[in-house]
Amino acid sequence: MVLFIAFALQLQTAAAQNKQNNPKLSDAEVASVAVIANQIDIDQAMLAKERSKNQDVLQFAETMINDHKAVIKQASDLVQKLGVTPKENAVGKQLQADAAKTANMLRTKSGSAFDKAYVNNEVAYHKAVISAVEGLLIPESENEELRNLLQSIVPALNAHLEHAQMLQKQLNQK
Amino acid sequence: MKTLKLLPVDLSLFGLLLLCTTFTPVAGVQPTVHTIRISQMQFNPATLTVHKGDTIVFVNKDIVTHDATEISGKAWKSPALASGDSWRMAATKSAAFYCSFHPVMKGKIVVK
Ligand SMILES: [Cu+2]
Repeated sequence: MVLFIAFALQLQTAAAQNKQNNPKLSDAEVASVAVIANQIDIDQAMLAKERSKNQDVLQFAETMINDHKAVIKQASDLVQKLGVTPKENAVGKQLQADAAKTANMLRTKSGSAFDKAYVNNEVAYHKAVISAVEGLLIPESENEELRNLLQSIVPALNAHLEHAQMLQKQLNQK
Repeated sequence: MKTLKLLPVDLSLFGLLLLCTTFTPVAGVQPTVHTIRISQMQFNPATLTVHKGDTIVFVNKDIVTHDATEISGKAWKSPALASGDSWRMAATKSAAFYCSFHPVMKGKIVVK
């Protein structure tokens, strides 16, 4: 749990610092962070498919894989159209480092303990990503189409968050 | 000239169409086709009122794949609708439905 909170805080802090210090992210960097954030959720879902036996959790993981793949496809199509090459940066690297820690923690768990830990992380992760998209990536995007694309994925992120919260309740009742 | 000659016919046809859609359908009138648009993770309209025998078309205008599943999971279920896909069904009974991929997405069909 500490890990999730630390991670969520880090993203929120990044968004807050951005408002104060304004460390400019280029559109190429925004695109890179967007792809990484989606890929991380796909990777965690793959882990869930390996380790979970709960039908509802497995179905949720499948939806995460399909939806986040669709978003990456949209983002890749757009950067190609715009002639932008996604560029690695500190925000993306931090995301990857935190995701690796989460994955290591999840690998130590199995059964219902895994399900709970995975779903708890999905709740925290989607909250953090929504606040990063709205508070950092959208304001940092110069290109209108990139901004619109980021805006258009927020409803899906919110639906994922609600879905994860629904599962969280369900798992905690058991 | 050709256009002018055809115009009165077109207008009367148009009037006939208006009559059909404005007044309560009587026996022999074509059933109406209604569209439920899926976009931004929502069914739109979320509640649709139709007459028995009308056609309902679900159109997915979203980025991600959705479906429409009758709430009990037993009466009917659309196939997975990828972005741009659509699926039609005949309205026979009122039903609540949801998206099986995103259970927070819900809708209702009211058959009068
Ligand atoms: Cu859906």
